[in-house]
Amino acid sequence: MKNLWRIAGWEFRNRFRSRSFYFNTFVSPLLFTVLLTLPIFIFRYEPEISARLIGVIDLSGKNMSNSLQTDLNQFYRLKNQNPEYMIMKVNLNNNPFYSQLQAEYDEIRKARDSITTLFEAIRHERTSYYQQTAIPNREFLMQSSYEKLQSTREEKELIEVELERFRANMDSVYGTDARQTADSLLMARVLDAYLVFPPSFVNSGDMEYHSHKSAAFLETTRLEKILQNIIIDRRMANDNIERIKIRRWLKPINIRRYQLEAGTTREWNFYAQFYGPLIAVFLLFIAIFTSGGYLFSSVLLEKSNKILEQLLSSTRSGILLAGKFIGFGCLGLVQILLWLILLFLVQYSGYLPADQVSYLTLNNLALFILYFVLGYLLFGGFFILLGTISPTVYDAQQYNQSLRTIAIMPALLSLLVFSNPEGQLISILSYIPPLSPSFMIMRIPLSPQSLSSDIIITIALLLVSGIIIMLLAASSFKNLVLLQGRKPTLSEWWNAVKFF
Amino acid sequence: MQTEKVTTENGLIAENLCKNYGSEATVDNISFRVKPGQILGLLGPNGSGKTTIMRILVKILQPDSGSVTLNEVPLEQIPANQFGYLPEERGLYPRARVLESLVYFGTLNQMPARKAQVEAIRFLDRLGLVEFTEARINQLSRGMQQKIQLVASFLHNPPVVVLDEPFSGMDAINMVVLEELLAEFRSNGKMVILATHQMDRAEKLCDDLIMMNQGRVLIEGAPAEIKKQFRESAFYIEADEPLPALKSLKNIEILEENNNAYKFISKNQTRDISLILSQIDKRERIRKVEVFEPSLHDIFIRLIRQNSGVK
Repeated sequence: MKNLWRIAGWEFRNRFRSRSFYFNTFVSPLLFTVLLTLPIFIFRYEPEISARLIGVIDLSGKNMSNSLQTDLNQFYRLKNQNPEYMIMKVNLNNNPFYSQLQAEYDEIRKARDSITTLFEAIRHERTSYYQQTAIPNREFLMQSSYEKLQSTREEKELIEVELERFRANMDSVYGTDARQTADSLLMARVLDAYLVFPPSFVNSGDMEYHSHKSAAFLETTRLEKILQNIIIDRRMANDNIERIKIRRWLKPINIRRYQLEAGTTREWNFYAQFYGPLIAVFLLFIAIFTSGGYLFSSVLLEKSNKILEQLLSSTRSGILLAGKFIGFGCLGLVQILLWLILLFLVQYSGYLPADQVSYLTLNNLALFILYFVLGYLLFGGFFILLGTISPTVYDAQQYNQSLRTIAIMPALLSLLVFSNPEGQLISILSYIPPLSPSFMIMRIPLSPQSLSSDIIITIALLLVSGIIIMLLAASSFKNLVLLQGRKPTLSEWWNAVKFF
Repeated sequence: MQTEKVTTENGLIAENLCKNYGSEATVDNISFRVKPGQILGLLGPNGSGKTTIMRILVKILQPDSGSVTLNEVPLEQIPANQFGYLPEERGLYPRARVLESLVYFGTLNQMPARKAQVEAIRFLDRLGLVEFTEARINQLSRGMQQKIQLVASFLHNPPVVVLDEPFSGMDAINMVVLEELLAEFRSNGKMVILATHQMDRAEKLCDDLIMMNQGRVLIEGAPAEIKKQFRESAFYIEADEPLPALKSLKNIEILEENNNAYKFISKNQTRDISLILSQIDKRERIRKVEVFEPSLHDIFIRLIRQNSGVK
């Protein structure tokens, strides 16, 4: 038995001093955590950039550029408080044809304004005749003002039709030429993007966004939100609805989430409650595969560099394997201890509030260690078995990769576990021994109900399967490990393991 | 070096050892005895069963039948540290340091760590490696690594030392060092079993030899006795021209042919050269006929060919 502890101590010491242990203990979890949480930070990250110039081609006649600028200024500013977006109306001042059209349009509009003024004056005059019953020739004046009013109205209506027709023509020209202008401004990198508001914008909500930069399309959500508010305001104004009331009606709700757990209520935090268990699964995976991987590489190393034969002349194969298993298992426990110390330090220094890791109870910690030990027993057995029968290191690495893929599969199904930790599918998957540790470590903190029966079943299944695999592995190791350079045949393997 | 735990002088006795892999007999009814202070050499081509015998002795393999006793104690009851084993396939922990590796092997063989350290330094000093005690194994040359593994095999001072091809890959100087060590083992009453392909060294070092092929003993005994058995049936002939008729004779084994000179052994161990010469023509062209003492190598080749049915 002394050799058992000597071998355990030797394997523990050698790996504890290796760089790979510290990499697996500190760098790998950090990498996992960063990879896991990076998308959230990227999603929430607002890069500091210079102001962006957005062109507007407004055919809606609703002066969208002013409203847009006002609202954008309200929500998006640079760190120096300058507006992040500058809205520029795309004009065609340098286009002679459009300028001529504009001049003609202005003239028609002036004529329309003049006739409107005349029309209003006649109407006013006629109103005064109507009110003053004592004036001489009242009937005549009424009749002549009526005729003037009629002819002026007809003239006004004709001018307005002409104005409208001209305006449509101008919009068409503007719509075409302004796009060309805006495109050339985009190509010259003057504009970051430009918007086109068609005449029907307020009713249909349809509009266009043009840019030359792919990244700019990711920002349309901001503009969409602002424009949505503007268009709602406009529609409400058209329908004479009080905006303040509507704003009050539409005020968003703010849900504070509380989870009832073991008789206590705690505020629910998505990142802590979801990512915490997920990180725990990765840590469990790292711990099992660090220890199991060392067990695997140790068998492979001793097999490939032929040291095994000399070791087996000094000690029994069972003692050799048990010593390795214990040594690397202790290394895994030390790794977990180091993580706990690290967690304690982070918590103690105030970077991680205690309520965000409230599921880290002694009970859960004990289960984490228990699932580590059982997972290590099972995967360690697989590793010894595969290390023994693999003719080359290359073959062994292929098997190793497959085992890792199986073990990490529950993490890929984390959303499924998150949505229903007590679901039937998840429960069934948890009963498959290679998947049990990862699934259970994720389910236990996420489930509002006690999973006692599932815990007992999975522990029993893991224990039984772990012992069987370990016995098969030990038999294979004892009888086949000195078989050099070739894989044992199935009958050789069966002969080696049939009596355990 | 003092031999420990040897209570009687019966030595190591293997009787009727058999080991099969599937339907193939790797070791077929092998028996031998090694007395304290004796070196037994196992000779044979690859796959003749030498390594299997050694693995049985150090309890890595179990024989299908037969028994091994050391000083009348059955092998199953003998602690592993009574044997020192140097396997044919060599290897050490590449990243471990020399001294800690040796101490590890010493302690696995029940040596106190301190004693293992002292003995390791002593042997390293003797083999000229003492300045490498803190070096990592992978920083050393292959020859140095072999010496370290050799030390690991007998650091715990076992009464039985089992060495599988110990001279393989060693340079001339280290071979001499190893020969000295083996001589020391003999004088200290250790029982040494070594497998080698180097006949001259086996002849020089071993008290007894077992020549094996395909798991069976071809011949055994002291080197001188073995050679004596073949001495008077081994002949050397020199002729003026080639003697194809000699080569076609079925009752002789040509060992060497060089410039119309032939070394051969009579298969039926006939000592009458005239009987052989009468069967060939051109007898008048023969210049010289001698009886010579065949080397172990000659005998080995002859026996292997004979056993394998190869002319």
